[in-house]
Amino acid sequence: MRGSSLAAGERRFALALFLPAFLVLVLATTFPLVYLVWNSFLKMDLTMPWVSGFAGGDHYARMAADARFWHSLQLTAIYTGATVALQVLVGLGLALLVMQIPKGQGALRVGAILPIVLAPVVVGLFWRTLVLAPDFGVADFVTRSLGLGSHNWLGDPQLALASVIAIHTWQWTPFAFLVILASLSALPPDIYEAARIDRASAWQRFRHITLPLIRPAIVVVVILRMMTALSAFAAIFAATGGGPGTATEILNLYAYRMSFVELNIGYGAALAVVLLVLTMATAGLLFSLRTKA
Amino acid sequence: MSGAARIRLLGVAKRHGGVTALKDIDLDIAAGEFFALLGPSGSGKTTTLRILAGLESADEGRVLLDELDITDAEPGARDVAMVFQSYALYPHMSVHENIAFPLRMVSTPADEIERAVLQAAEKVRIGHLLGRRPGQLSGGQQQRCALARAIVRKPRLFLLDEPLSNLDAKLRLETRVELKKLHRSLDVTTLYVTHDQEEAMTIADRLAVFMEGRIEQVGTPEEVFAQPKSLDVAAFLGSPPMNFLPAKLVGRVARAAGQTIDLARDYGPERDAVLGIRPGAIRLEASGIPAQVYLVEQLGENAIVDLHVGETLVRVRVDRRVRVREGDTVHLAFSTEDLHVFDAATRQRL
Amino acid sequence: MLGLAAGLLLLVWSFPVLWGFLTSLKSERDVLAYPPVLVFAPTLANYRDVLFGATTILPNLLSSLIVSVSTTAVTMLLAIPAAYALARLELPAKRATGFYVLATQMLPPVGLVIPYFLMLRGLGWLDTYHGMVLLYITAALPFAIWLMVSYFEEIPREMEEAALLDRAGRLRALWHVVLPQARGGIAVTVVFVFLNAWNEFLFAVVLAGNTVRPVTVAMFNFISVEQTQWARLAAAAIVAMAPVILLGLFAQKHIVKGLTVGAVKGGGRR
Repeated sequence: MRGSSLAAGERRFALALFLPAFLVLVLATTFPLVYLVWNSFLKMDLTMPWVSGFAGGDHYARMAADARFWHSLQLTAIYTGATVALQVLVGLGLALLVMQIPKGQGALRVGAILPIVLAPVVVGLFWRTLVLAPDFGVADFVTRSLGLGSHNWLGDPQLALASVIAIHTWQWTPFAFLVILASLSALPPDIYEAARIDRASAWQRFRHITLPLIRPAIVVVVILRMMTALSAFAAIFAATGGGPGTATEILNLYAYRMSFVELNIGYGAALAVVLLVLTMATAGLLFSLRTKA
Repeated sequence: MSGAARIRLLGVAKRHGGVTALKDIDLDIAAGEFFALLGPSGSGKTTTLRILAGLESADEGRVLLDELDITDAEPGARDVAMVFQSYALYPHMSVHENIAFPLRMVSTPADEIERAVLQAAEKVRIGHLLGRRPGQLSGGQQQRCALARAIVRKPRLFLLDEPLSNLDAKLRLETRVELKKLHRSLDVTTLYVTHDQEEAMTIADRLAVFMEGRIEQVGTPEEVFAQPKSLDVAAFLGSPPMNFLPAKLVGRVARAAGQTIDLARDYGPERDAVLGIRPGAIRLEASGIPAQVYLVEQLGENAIVDLHVGETLVRVRVDRRVRVREGDTVHLAFSTEDLHVFDAATRQRL
Repeated sequence: MLGLAAGLLLLVWSFPVLWGFLTSLKSERDVLAYPPVLVFAPTLANYRDVLFGATTILPNLLSSLIVSVSTTAVTMLLAIPAAYALARLELPAKRATGFYVLATQMLPPVGLVIPYFLMLRGLGWLDTYHGMVLLYITAALPFAIWLMVSYFEEIPREMEEAALLDRAGRLRALWHVVLPQARGGIAVTVVFVFLNAWNEFLFAVVLAGNTVRPVTVAMFNFISVEQTQWARLAAAAIVAMAPVILLGLFAQKHIVKGLTVGAVKGGGRR
């Protein structure tokens, strides 16, 4: 005789607890996603409401030949790669630094929270108006004082990309900093003492002990920050709106603009689908790297 | 429902994935017994306890409380109380609230709860700690709080999962005695899981020795100590453990370590066997099996002499006044009745 | 020397807020001054305008509050039991469902906002609180579940088992024993869900209108093609971010813990 009714009772209870949230999730994400994909196969342009019907793969074909699309893809790669790399490097450096100042850690943890809790749109606005504004912005002040002259930080296509990367990096480096700091703080001190006795130099200790041990934390940071960077929107929107022209138009913004500014929802949906696939693929790749480690 | 219960496990088996945790578990525990489940880690004793509690379900077999089949019953419906190894006290409640919790859950009237809580707390002598939180108690006090919570509802079966393992050595000895006294003062059947054979031997009325998911032997401590049914049981009980010598049996004689030893009875045609003899049963005398002293461990009251008999290490318990030194050659003597004979292949007693 | 570096760091991170605050106290003329002035005659005019004047953002604050509180309440109501089930109980197809929850977290918001726009439009739910909160909940739920799962997993199983043996039954065991233990985790999750909802922009900009107009969108009232009201914008931004900054300061230990726990367990939109 099986003691199955105990387990069955537990299963029923578990389902009862889980189902409401699950149903909401399924209805509220899977269904819209399917709808999104469906729409990417339709002709839907709100500026020309009489145009409707099945478009088949037209949008995707158009995308393949769309220079603006490829440009946005390139920008996405540069943006994401640059900001994540910077966040990890700077975050790691800062965490290592702060480990040497046990007393300052508390204040810095509080300070680190500030950029993270701010709304990205406000961050974008702050930088646009106060830091990067031509003439009276702080950035200009600094460069002029250093004799590097005034620059159009957000109006010059090249500088604009660098500027939005800087903004994103500023906002999210504290996250990398906090996570890596937590990881560093959790390392047992006795292995370092053992390493010292084994006459390992500071660099060797870092490379052979610290780095491998904090690797899981760094991997997690990379994954999470990458996801955020791929779907970054508000800060760029607030700072440059995607411009000048398309100089900062990452794929996310392109999809938005196409759907809600140019009102070609069919094509916009197709762009969003591509972004979705790209995000999923990147996540999948990074996760598989993580489990391999 | 009241009064100690007779517990029976019939053919209970449990698998975890592909691994068999329990096989063919049959137990019959009399009402009011203090019964120990003894065995090394992973031998299945805790799993058995948890099946009794209803926290895990048996894949096969039945569990009976008196005549009631509780195999499929929910943990709360079994009239069973348990003290966990970690005590599992509710940290956000006071000691009073912890003890009152089981009574609250069945809507006991408030004045009755109050009475029962005070009574239970007095019984384990933590009446003065009722206002504190578990985090403010010492290990021993926490354990008593867990005990109070278990006894407050006057269960028919009391399950204790290694309750002493988190206490320091001295406290362990004191608490052992108190647990037995507590059991006697209550009308309850107690099941006690431990890996410490000395503990089980001193407080259990009867015990079951678990090895690798099976019960090797059931009996009183004296029975299991004096007549172990298998090599593993013999090796597990007793400190220092039993000495083992591989031997060849022919008829009434055993050949081991180059010596011929007379046996109590005829064991039939030649076979491979293992002879067992406890350290306390060997004497150092003028004649007998020669052995060379390897190490003398002074324990205060007595000493353990480690000897080499041929290749085998043998340990003998001697009075502290016996003088031997390392390197000495001595002779070992013992009575034939103190010799245990096991079949080498089946590991069972012959 | 290291202390100096730390101080510099602190400055860099708090700089925009500090400078924004300073700016909000300046007159428009002082804002445009070059070199930037640190000493000036402060004025509260901007705050007056932004709070009580014609360009008041008070209705927007209310709008944000309604949306954020509703989102947080409903999300927690759904997420807590679901997370408990995932963490503790024998759910059929547990790994698959866990993975599904994780996957929904990775969705780029733009992929959600387009179909939602169409669906809400079809239902006539654009510019309504229920329409918007629905989308917000959808976005918040996976992360809330994932965070709560990690907190539930920290609670020793034996405590629930003790409660079951104490005849509490599964539901009461959850209520009396598990949830009090998970109070800290619940607080952290509430903070994050509220924060994300308050700061949400993309959803707001697409779905909002006249009735529902969160504060993140209202910022742009102060920017137009002709001119930007710098000082007022700064004041509006400070006011809009005040709740979030205060929450951050009060709950900073919680937030740091939530970030690191959530990060270790492999989830997190923020």
